[in-house]
Amino acid sequence: MRSNFFRGTLCALALLVLPALAAAQKEIVIWHGYRGGEKAAFETVVENFNKANAGKIKATTLAVPYDAFADKITAAVPRGKGADVFIFAQDRLGGWIAAGNTVEPLDFYLDAPTKGRFLKATLDAMTYQGNIYGLPLNFKTITMIYNKKLVPNPPKTTAELAALAKKITNVASGKFGLVYWYSDFYYHAALMNGFGGGVFAGRKPTINSPQNIQSLEFLNKWIAQGFMPGEPSTALITSLFNSGKAGIVFSGPWFLGEASKDIDIGLAPLPTITEAGGKPMRPWITVEGVYVGAPSKNKDAAYAFVKYVTDVPAAKVLALQGRQTPANKAVYADPQVAADPILKAFRQQVDVAVPMPNLPEMSMVWSPVTTGMNTIVKKTATPKEAMDRAQKEVIQRINDLLKK
Amino acid sequence: MDSPARPVSHRRRFVIGLALAALLGVGVAAVLLTGARQAETNERAERRAVVTLSALTALLERAGGGGAQAPEPPATGLGEEIPSPPEETGGMGLGDELAAVEQGTEAPAADSGGAVRRAVARFAETHPEVTAIRVLEFDGITLAASTDPRDQGEKQAPRRLAPDEKSFYDLGQKLRAAVESNREGAEGAARQPEIRVARSAGALSLAAPIERGGQVVGMVQMDTRTRRDPAAFAWLPFLAAWLGPVIGLLLLSLALGERRWPLAAAAALLLLAALWLYGRHALTVLKEERQASGRAVAARMAAEAKTARTLLAEVAPLGGRPAQPLQPERWDVDEFRQPRGLVTAAGQVDEGKLGELAGADAGRMTRSVITLGLLGFALLAFVGLGYAARTGQALVEYRVAYAYTIPALLGMLVLVFFPFFYGFALSFTNANIYNTDKSIYDTWVGLGNFASILGDFGIAKRTAEGLVWNYQNFYYTLIFTIVWTVSNVAIGVTLGLTLALILNLKDFAFRPFYRVLLILPWAMPTYITSLIWQGMFHRQFGVINQIIQLFGGPAIPWFDRPFTSFLAVLTTNGWLSFPFMMVISLGALQSIPSDLYEAARVDGATRWQQFKSITLPSLRPALVPAIILSVIWTFNQFIVIYLVSAGEPGGATEILITQAYKIAFQQYRYGYAAAYSVVIFMILLAYGTWQNRVTRATEAIG
Repeated sequence: MRSNFFRGTLCALALLVLPALAAAQKEIVIWHGYRGGEKAAFETVVENFNKANAGKIKATTLAVPYDAFADKITAAVPRGKGADVFIFAQDRLGGWIAAGNTVEPLDFYLDAPTKGRFLKATLDAMTYQGNIYGLPLNFKTITMIYNKKLVPNPPKTTAELAALAKKITNVASGKFGLVYWYSDFYYHAALMNGFGGGVFAGRKPTINSPQNIQSLEFLNKWIAQGFMPGEPSTALITSLFNSGKAGIVFSGPWFLGEASKDIDIGLAPLPTITEAGGKPMRPWITVEGVYVGAPSKNKDAAYAFVKYVTDVPAAKVLALQGRQTPANKAVYADPQVAADPILKAFRQQVDVAVPMPNLPEMSMVWSPVTTGMNTIVKKTATPKEAMDRAQKEVIQRINDLLKK
Repeated sequence: MDSPARPVSHRRRFVIGLALAALLGVGVAAVLLTGARQAETNERAERRAVVTLSALTALLERAGGGGAQAPEPPATGLGEEIPSPPEETGGMGLGDELAAVEQGTEAPAADSGGAVRRAVARFAETHPEVTAIRVLEFDGITLAASTDPRDQGEKQAPRRLAPDEKSFYDLGQKLRAAVESNREGAEGAARQPEIRVARSAGALSLAAPIERGGQVVGMVQMDTRTRRDPAAFAWLPFLAAWLGPVIGLLLLSLALGERRWPLAAAAALLLLAALWLYGRHALTVLKEERQASGRAVAARMAAEAKTARTLLAEVAPLGGRPAQPLQPERWDVDEFRQPRGLVTAAGQVDEGKLGELAGADAGRMTRSVITLGLLGFALLAFVGLGYAARTGQALVEYRVAYAYTIPALLGMLVLVFFPFFYGFALSFTNANIYNTDKSIYDTWVGLGNFASILGDFGIAKRTAEGLVWNYQNFYYTLIFTIVWTVSNVAIGVTLGLTLALILNLKDFAFRPFYRVLLILPWAMPTYITSLIWQGMFHRQFGVINQIIQLFGGPAIPWFDRPFTSFLAVLTTNGWLSFPFMMVISLGALQSIPSDLYEAARVDGATRWQQFKSITLPSLRPALVPAIILSVIWTFNQFIVIYLVSAGEPGGATEILITQAYKIAFQQYRYGYAAAYSVVIFMILLAYGTWQNRVTRATEAIG
């Protein structure tokens, strides 16, 4: 009995010690808004990370409903109740930094090889006032998606595009050569940036700059030629393309998910603008970044995960299983990834793409500019009038925000 | 219920009242004055430390011959292109050496990195109160120089920063971002401080950016000891201002006796006089403090200039590029590195600027005296006119009842009153995303938000195409909200009453089944039904357009035109609101005795007359509260508007509450949105009070 007693005590002591040993392992929490295939792929990546760092770091994930995700970050993270790592798009970065204590700047950890991993535009998207606040995970941009039956050879310039579109268009039967959401500012940004325009110069809005107005007058010329449908909406575009009545569509990876399997789909880079001296169309990219929460207690472990998930093995899983377009350059050399025509097309497009501005003032731009674009497309205002009005409205809103 | 035994003594009440009011008023004023004196002393210590820091930064920027510093950007912010020197000096260490070698000029006797370290060492020697200086260089994330006692041996500079020194590096980057952002034209609340000051017991830690060639290449952090000068509370003036009026009232009351209103007037005048005199005293004290600060800063500036010239001669090499002259008058700067201009180059205090500051002080003092005076009068009236005595008696008499209600009162205080009053206070500020760290006092704008909400009458513009409505205008939104509320309540009541009448018919088949079906809209979550209705109104795939097209009509773009958008949200909310009215009406209908109808039928009344004279009046006691509730709920019906039409097109179908939401969370203007909510509250409060009075009046007649 005495030996039993001693054995029992030894076991109990051992049991007490084990948790202490396990506690030497750092635990990090990761928040993301993924569903379905992307979620499965991401959890595979986290599992691989845990295996590679067994005993040192343990990462757990939490899938947050996407609608509430932005509010959850703004409310919970600055108060220390948030995750160590979270994944979100880059457009709110300026707002988070202005509010403070949300995202941690990573320049201290970054070295040249790590920075060199990424496609340049994606790393620029994660930069605010010269500091890098997260590493880019994947990006979304728009490119030219076409019906191979109607368009055997994709056009390389806008002159070719206009000619081809006019040939295909037959308004009576509802067939259109070029179908895209041209009244939406996000889609129009490709033309705007191509002509050299933009939304901000430094911190000042430049909505009515001459280049922007030029791009809108160019759009009006396209509308006048009649090869685009009136009142485009995503629903209309999808239905036209799926019924074989659209030749070319400018859209992003979200469109491919809704495209019908019966159509023979081809992808090509957006054409260069002949009227702007052959400059390429530069669409905006939305980059999804992985950030380290500023109040995190395990920043080193968090950064280790951030570095792992943006490296080639993880990027490969996210690309092939999760159908994302990674921001990592080297992963595109992998034969399996290179064989995928969709990933290749977006990789080609991102070389001329421009990151969407991440200033906090950007959220004040959308509403006035959308109203402006609607008036231009409905022909109730000229581009100059509409953009002058939008510029005044945006400046008014920014001044209201900034006045002391 | 006055207890008959003790007679009412106005004298006693007013003396006590005046004592309390004066204690409150003068006490708060004394605390504010002590705070202001402490702030001035702290600022004096900080300004002197900043002068030392500026001298150190000037020295480091010129150390090792890197003296071709870009000229300071003009304070007017013209944003001219800052000329950079012909050779790009990337860092303070190696870069300069390489540049010097490439130029073929004589390499300095010691390398530039060494010059910086020597400068730092010599500066620390000549400034015994500076406990540590650390210099960060961004290039290579290096600690270029340090006199911190912990950086010895293997941690000696120059070295790469250790992992636990990340916050040091991040601070440097933050300062660099602030400098660049301010240069790019950040204005108002978006300007960021370029010098950081951290205060702890008896010590200050300051950080400033170091620039070379117009670029921020690093940061210098300086820790210094400060004299502990806590501003003591000045008892004598406080006691004089507090007890003076009380004694005065006691003396006056000998003459005035027990007359109530003369006593009140005397007390009020004495209170005002005490506050005003104390205010004048405060202004004098502050003026003296400011002048002392000015003299202290001027003395420090002169001393630092002398030391800096000596050190510069030691540290800047002979031959090579000549250093830019030192500009000591630019060393007394604020947090944006703009010269305060309070001390001239000759080291004299600028009386004009001090006069301006004194004027601002006087303005603040007047406002405080008025506020404190009003509070004091309120307290005086409360005690002096007898309300305090009555309240005390009530509390004692009903103390058991109060004891039972205290827990609920506390709960309501925390959950209802505190958030309400915080929101109310916020509406007087311009709190937004950029100034969340500033207190309510710092961002105070008074009635400015309300003025811009209620004073904006630009409801429509006359243009070439006719009248164009300004959908963002408060009055447009208010009118739309009223129209929305009235239509909804009308539809809800009509539909609900009609259905209740039908359901109330005798021998109605399957009545329970219909009742359940008709309650369903109310039972399902509003969020989900709004989303479903939004889908039903979709132009392409919505069920409603498909039905219309089935009958041969055109598909209507519901959310593209204001009127059709309004119809869409009206339909949704009508569908959601009729069950409530139906249930209320049904309950009230079932309580009407049927012999009233018998009697009316016997008398020969038609059904319509029966309805008008029997049914409607009996329903009124139930329907009127239901209508008040419905008006208030519909006025604030955020979910339906936000989810079904989202205010489309262009804000035409926004109601006040969705407008406030967008201002808070899309424009990040929290103070302005709070003011909007306060206005909504006032409107509904006025409506509720008016409605109550009207219905009570008509009930009295009926």
